[in-house]
Amino acid sequence: MIIVMNFSEYLKGVILLKNSKFAWLLSLLLVVALFLAACGGDKEEGTETTKDTEDTDATTEEVATDEEQVLNLIMNAEIPTMDSALVTDAVGFDLLNNVNEGLYRLNQDNVAEPAISEGEPTVSEDGLVYTFTLRDANWSDGSPVTANDFEFAWKRAMNPDTASEYGPYMMDGVIKNATAIMEGSMEYTELGVKALDEKTLEVTLEKPTPYFLSLMSFGTFLPQKEEFVTAQGENYAKNSEAVLYNGPFTLANWDGTGLSWQLLKNEEYWDKDTVKLTEINYDVVKEPGTGVNLYSEGQKDKAPLTGEFAMQYAADPELIHESETSVFYFKYNQERLGEKTPLANVNIREAISKAFNKQDLVDVVLANGSVPANYLIPKDFTFDADANDFRDVNGDMAEFNADEAKAAFETGLSELGVSELTIELLNGDTESAKKTGEYLKNQLETNLPGLTVKLKEVPFNVRLDLDTNQDYEMQIAGWGPDYQDPYTFMNLWLTGGGNNQMSYSNPEYDKLVSSSVNELALDPEARWQALADAEKILIDEDFGIGPIYQRGLMHLQKPYVKGIVAHPFGGDYSYKWAYIEGKN
Amino acid sequence: MTKYIIRRIVYMFITLFLIASATFFLMKALPGSPISSASKLPPSQLAVVEAKYGLDQPVPVQYAKYMLNLAKGDLGNSFQFKNASVTDLIMNRLGPSVLIGSQGLILGVAIGILLGMIAALRQNTIWDYGSTLIAIIGISIPSFVFATLLQYWLGVKWGLLPVALWKDGWMSSILPSIALAMGPLATASRFIRTEMIEVISSDYITLAKSKGASGFEIAFKHAFRNALIPLITVLGPLAAGLLTGSLVIEQIFAIPGIGEQFVKAIVSNDFSIIMGTTIFYSVFLIVIIFVVDVLYGIVDPRIRLSGGSK
Amino acid sequence: MSLDIKKIPAESFERVHIDSSQAERITKPSLSFWQDAWLRIRKNKGAIASIFILVFIIIMAFVGPMVSPHDAETQTITHANLPPKVQGLEKLGIFDGVGTLAGKEVDLYEMKKVDTYYWFGTDGLGRDMFSRVWEGTQISLLIAFVAAIIDMVIGVAYGGISGYYGGRVDDIMQRVVEILYGIPTLVIVILMLLVMEPGVTAIIIAITLTGWIGMSRIVRGQVLKFKNQEFVLASRTLGASNGRIISKHILPNILGVIIINTMFTIPTAIFFEAFLSFIGLGLQAPDASLGTLINDGYKLIRFQPHILLYPSIVLSLLMIAFNLLGDGLRDAFDPKMKD
Repeated sequence: MIIVMNFSEYLKGVILLKNSKFAWLLSLLLVVALFLAACGGDKEEGTETTKDTEDTDATTEEVATDEEQVLNLIMNAEIPTMDSALVTDAVGFDLLNNVNEGLYRLNQDNVAEPAISEGEPTVSEDGLVYTFTLRDANWSDGSPVTANDFEFAWKRAMNPDTASEYGPYMMDGVIKNATAIMEGSMEYTELGVKALDEKTLEVTLEKPTPYFLSLMSFGTFLPQKEEFVTAQGENYAKNSEAVLYNGPFTLANWDGTGLSWQLLKNEEYWDKDTVKLTEINYDVVKEPGTGVNLYSEGQKDKAPLTGEFAMQYAADPELIHESETSVFYFKYNQERLGEKTPLANVNIREAISKAFNKQDLVDVVLANGSVPANYLIPKDFTFDADANDFRDVNGDMAEFNADEAKAAFETGLSELGVSELTIELLNGDTESAKKTGEYLKNQLETNLPGLTVKLKEVPFNVRLDLDTNQDYEMQIAGWGPDYQDPYTFMNLWLTGGGNNQMSYSNPEYDKLVSSSVNELALDPEARWQALADAEKILIDEDFGIGPIYQRGLMHLQKPYVKGIVAHPFGGDYSYKWAYIEGKN
Repeated sequence: MTKYIIRRIVYMFITLFLIASATFFLMKALPGSPISSASKLPPSQLAVVEAKYGLDQPVPVQYAKYMLNLAKGDLGNSFQFKNASVTDLIMNRLGPSVLIGSQGLILGVAIGILLGMIAALRQNTIWDYGSTLIAIIGISIPSFVFATLLQYWLGVKWGLLPVALWKDGWMSSILPSIALAMGPLATASRFIRTEMIEVISSDYITLAKSKGASGFEIAFKHAFRNALIPLITVLGPLAAGLLTGSLVIEQIFAIPGIGEQFVKAIVSNDFSIIMGTTIFYSVFLIVIIFVVDVLYGIVDPRIRLSGGSK
Repeated sequence: MSLDIKKIPAESFERVHIDSSQAERITKPSLSFWQDAWLRIRKNKGAIASIFILVFIIIMAFVGPMVSPHDAETQTITHANLPPKVQGLEKLGIFDGVGTLAGKEVDLYEMKKVDTYYWFGTDGLGRDMFSRVWEGTQISLLIAFVAAIIDMVIGVAYGGISGYYGGRVDDIMQRVVEILYGIPTLVIVILMLLVMEPGVTAIIIAITLTGWIGMSRIVRGQVLKFKNQEFVLASRTLGASNGRIISKHILPNILGVIIINTMFTIPTAIFFEAFLSFIGLGLQAPDASLGTLINDGYKLIRFQPHILLYPSIVLSLLMIAFNLLGDGLRDAFDPKMKD
């Protein structure tokens, strides 16, 4: 989601656990906990002692939870809105995921599974029409969730009067007629979604979309009760009283702009027996040091750690380390304000891509659990039917290699007919972005004699503006996925694409990437290969971008907090399965 | 006097109008869109979103609308917080900022005056150097470092006061107020020292001394009052500085105040909040300056408020 | 008991003639304003010590980076986050390169196999803090001095004119000040940093853009106070020109306040720059000032205090020295304190 800023390390949502492998780690924790409890020991030692990787579904087991089920968390930003049509940020999506529920929900293994939808939908032969049957579920006011709630919410998101940003962005090219509605040639009421009766929803797609069901867990596709929204009018979602909830929790004590709020267990939730927490208390803390202090004092159960802190807590048993799915890379702009830049030369791009030590960067400079990226599609993000990581197809590309980089640079210089080069590097202005920038500048200048890098550090919105106008030479940019498919990354560099903004264009790349959502849409294997080939062209042949790292996050988390599930896209965390054990 | 005050009030409105206009056009000149996902949206949809916020109209029209609304006391709606009016946002956040700001100011100035007087009355002794040192520590440690130290030692290590957050009523305001007080403390003590020394060496003090007035009487009855005058001139800027300066402190102590909100707005290009807060600060400043000028006239009868000796 | 004067012989008395030519003679050597100030500042130990500290810091700011065996820019990533270690002192148990890592005391130099010495330790990118502190001092001093001088010149001129001439001039000038005053500095600074190439110049301009206002208000207040006093009135009655009244009567009287205020502008400037770094608008890397170094260090206050400590010490020394010197000068310039 969103173009990830580097500093979202602490701007990003709150808490923990990011990849599917955590399911077993969780169960492991649980097994150890149960074991210790059985032995009468009340102290939990490190969890790394047990190497039992069996029984992966232990988390769903019934556990004795007679303790106070209250979780205290830190957020690093306010909730801008709880209106699912208007939300655009990490905090909003995170909360929506916990207080509402769409047709699908990401489970503990980060697989989208039916939620409000009763079982899998029926899909037409051509893959265009999905028919969902809804389960019996209620809103927090006791009224039933109906198919019309979905139809209303989706159409509302496409209604120009709503001025939704994410609605059109997510539905464009997916839901039938969305594109035409955006262009103004059709009314928003003609969107391809229809309530056949109370409990049956029919969705028509523009074209077969392999990742459609994973989209159904995304915040933009949540239902809204028409009567309620209309009755609230302007006041809808203005505070916690002015929203209806159909998810595991309800929001309380939120005044619309404040720095604290609560989640309370939703007694109307259809699956309320699974939910163990009765209360989650949130406070917005923007200063990481303060968060750590609140954590050590015991007021908070979890605290995010930035690089400086992570380093010092490296050996702390309460440290939780998670890999994330945001990837950061150099964007090489080939045409600045209509004029060719030195980066239009492929050798120069190759040289820069290979001229910096990524391992040192993640180990010493970032030190937050990030890993070097020699790829675009992140690790532990997308898997094929046999659970093989997409990453396995291409492996590493454009790795650090000072000699190759130097050779390529010399070739590039002679092709350009110059002996030295000055390149401007556009960067964010946060602490860690600055440090990364300084490191990369030094690496590039050291490994590529004749290169001078000029750092330009600007606030996030200014960087976006410069990016949109293509008024930069090289920048450190990042991207996080909006749905669980490589296409969310790969479509960025289609010729003329809205996020290309660097004049990268390769017909072959375009052909491969667009085939994945057109003729190959229903052929998973060929599609997989096409996307992998496209990635190889982008990174290893054209050096269109220079991958830097895949972000990691570190948190301190009290050992008695269990079962928080982190997601690779959409809302960051689910607390549906979380519980407290061993606190007293 | 009344005439003077009325004239000043008219000027205040003119000033405010100019500030609002200037800020408006500055905001328009800033790069970056307040719409967070502007870069993702196709132009047709971006136009829809812009239309909702009135950004599609020509700048003069936007300006006229903004000024009209401002005259009615309406500061518009926030971009970041959908559906939230800027007036509400500022009002919601005002309480904590005013509390820690005023406590910080009073605490700082009170201690500052005390230290300054001690330093002046015991010039070039260990007392003088000691109070100078305290004042210098106040200005040579950045407030964010000082706040971090306070938080760690008083909050985490000794557990005396809340570490952060705005949950324990007045107790929550103590550490931030102390952190804020350091600036005014330093400024006040330096000014009082300077002025006291000057006043003490003036003729009427010598006269009072020769008439046998006690040291205490001289210090408080004669010297102190005259030494206060220049302090009043810096009180305005000090108070304003606290309001803006508090954003660092508010962020560190996670306090729901205006300053903290202002920084967030700057980072996310929330024009309405930036402008609203700017105008709010400006009103505050203008009023303070006005009050200071009037006070100055009252405290020092030698200054005639009608101004101008010609 | 009273002495009978008449019994004293008349020859004990000698007649004194008043020599009217001697009446105006000045017995003390004639001293210029500055000579006089210097004579008196010499007696102020604090001020003299401050001068030495300032000279030392200024010299170190230029010599320091040259003396250090390490460059301020070179990143030796394997040497990141080392505590200070100094030849000779290590045997005394101080500056021996021992730091805490994950709660344990270890000799980090030994652990990371570093056989060189970093007198102030290294930062997170393995750069020598000694060189960085002194180069940062250079930039901080540059920003502070330039900003303070510009503030002083504009502020004194503006406040002086406004206060001295009064009336309509004062009114108009004060409205202008109020308008500038009313715009929160931060907005201007952000604008400046967007319009201009970010860097030292942008920061100096941003600081001085509104920085002189404080000075101008103080000067105006002082001028208002003095211009109606008797000695000015007397001078005016005797036909002194405006220029003479300002330079000979008003300026010397307000010099103390100007100097004190300038001495406060210097830390304010350094601080404002640090504050800019805190909210992410400070100097552009790899430039560093004391402010950015402190800002980098304060988060590590519990773990790697050396990164915060040395820039803070230098900053504090600068502040103390400027202040004591300011006080000393104030006393020295005060025309009423002639002995």
